[in-house]
Amino acid sequence: MTDVKDPIVRIEGVTKSFGSFIALHEMNLNIASGEFVTFLGPSGCGKSTTLRILGGFETPDTGRVILNGKDVTALPPNKRNVNMVFQDYALFPNMTVRRNIAFGLELKGLGQAAIKARIDELASFLELTAYLDRRPDQLSGGQRQRVALARALAPDPALLLLDEPLGALDAKLRAQVQVELKAIQRRTNKTFFFVTHDQEEALTMSDRIVVMNKGRIEQDGTPEELYFQPASRFVAEFIGETNLLSGRALAVDQGSAGFDWQGHQLRATSTPGRAALAGGAATASLRPERIQVQRDRPATDNAVQGQVVNRLFKGHRMLLDVAVGETTVQAYTDTDRGRELADGPVWLGWNANSLTLLAD
Amino acid sequence: MTRNTRILMQCIYWAFVLYLLVPLFLMMLMGFKDSKFIGFPIRSWTLDWYLGVFNDTAVVQALGYSAVIAVVSTAIALFMGTWIAVALTGRSFWGRAIILGLTLLPAVIPGVISAIAFRIAARVVGMEPGMWAIIWSHAIHNVPFVVLVVMARLSTLPKSYGEAARDLGADPIITFFRVTLPYLTPAMIGGGVFCMLLSFDDFVRSFFLGGYEPTLPVLIFAKLRSGMSPEINAISTIVLVLTALLGLWAERSMRGMSKRAAND
Repeated sequence: MTDVKDPIVRIEGVTKSFGSFIALHEMNLNIASGEFVTFLGPSGCGKSTTLRILGGFETPDTGRVILNGKDVTALPPNKRNVNMVFQDYALFPNMTVRRNIAFGLELKGLGQAAIKARIDELASFLELTAYLDRRPDQLSGGQRQRVALARALAPDPALLLLDEPLGALDAKLRAQVQVELKAIQRRTNKTFFFVTHDQEEALTMSDRIVVMNKGRIEQDGTPEELYFQPASRFVAEFIGETNLLSGRALAVDQGSAGFDWQGHQLRATSTPGRAALAGGAATASLRPERIQVQRDRPATDNAVQGQVVNRLFKGHRMLLDVAVGETTVQAYTDTDRGRELADGPVWLGWNANSLTLLAD
Repeated sequence: MTRNTRILMQCIYWAFVLYLLVPLFLMMLMGFKDSKFIGFPIRSWTLDWYLGVFNDTAVVQALGYSAVIAVVSTAIALFMGTWIAVALTGRSFWGRAIILGLTLLPAVIPGVISAIAFRIAARVVGMEPGMWAIIWSHAIHNVPFVVLVVMARLSTLPKSYGEAARDLGADPIITFFRVTLPYLTPAMIGGGVFCMLLSFDDFVRSFFLGGYEPTLPVLIFAKLRSGMSPEINAISTIVLVLTALLGLWAERSMRGMSKRAAND
């Protein structure tokens, strides 16, 4: 678990079940102020339940939620300084954009002048000034998404919850909005709690990603930590593409490890707490783009020989299927080299820090 | 579909339209006949019957009486019906099916039976025959229609709308008045117009529960007993035009509002 000093949100021992389905096993998590935290996982992993507990739409069975040092576990949504951007945006169809954004401000008891000033500020910030008097049905998907964001930011919440808000946008717009959203988060310095099942989205925007699986936190770290040092097989498979090598762990030291794979003695890294794996069957993750493919033996920590059996042209690069012993390893190479290596034996090489020993 | 069957289908369609519209058309036409007797041939034309309607105080009073009954009973039915629909939606509790069944019952009970029942009940509770008795029976008869349209509309209300309102600081009551109720408005307008037309059109309940003052259908019935005259055609045509306009307006405004809500 990432150490957080002076957290704005503390989730302490929270559990939640729906009937016999356990949505959340005991969860403990701290979120720092100004952090962009993403909860990532497949559907049913508990990420949305966590979000709804933070928003006040679900009450945890046990545990507490502390917001700004205050226990808010039993408070209804309208009594929490937390706002949410809904998956379907949930803009009120009978109100203009202006009235939608004003909704939370009016309920906070702000005066007319203050409300107007706040709306104008947000509208110019989110480029909505021209649309303030339109109704939601007269807006495009991207505009609606910005209105939902403006409405949720308007009451100045301590924590902003975002429930897969990019799901309804097409791929191109989504990429653009990812960049915008990150920029908005930096400029407002708000704490964002973002929920998604899209790993690319998570990698692009987050300061920190919490990977969830079956109601438990699988791993909690920066996007780079998750990508290069996945703690478990689930994380390695869920984030990006990877080769999972099945073999035997040899000596496991602090940080480094030996790995026996089809008779090759490989050097690998291990995250702390994997010492128990030593001597037993284990899995290691190897990202396809971390492998060098060449004719001659490369000067890397690990090198094995194989045979190219298939090529997939991907434009700027090529994905090679290389048969090594009984298994096939996938490796990326640039397109020109991929053409040269079309047939014949090749060497695959990678360094110890690219091969990560996993807990199963 | 071959060309011949298409032509056949069109013929059937137009024959049906004719079948529906010819009686109405004849009714309108006879109102313009310059004679006391309904029937062909029409030798001369007049507007007297139509103008006469507005000078007949009994008719004008009955029209006003019917309109007041329609508006008040509809208001009550809308209030009760929306309340019940909201209470029955979104949660299941013991007795929900029973409440729903009892609520919908007045819509399926034959008019004469329910009119007699109302008459007896009115006497038991000491209610005088007259406007309030009629309003009472019309309201209860109309509640099921309001419940049905409002429940249908509620079932399309995204759960997130209410949650968004709560999230932005609204308590359940503010959420209901600012989010749920506006969303239900098209259904309430549609249901309300339907209720008004039902009430305006009702003869049996108004006849059994009425006092000395007749509603419009009751007055027309009374006039019929003293013989058919083109004045009745004129009254009927005016009522037809008014109700058709009301129905058209409701249909149009409802479609616009539902579309707006659905697009979001």
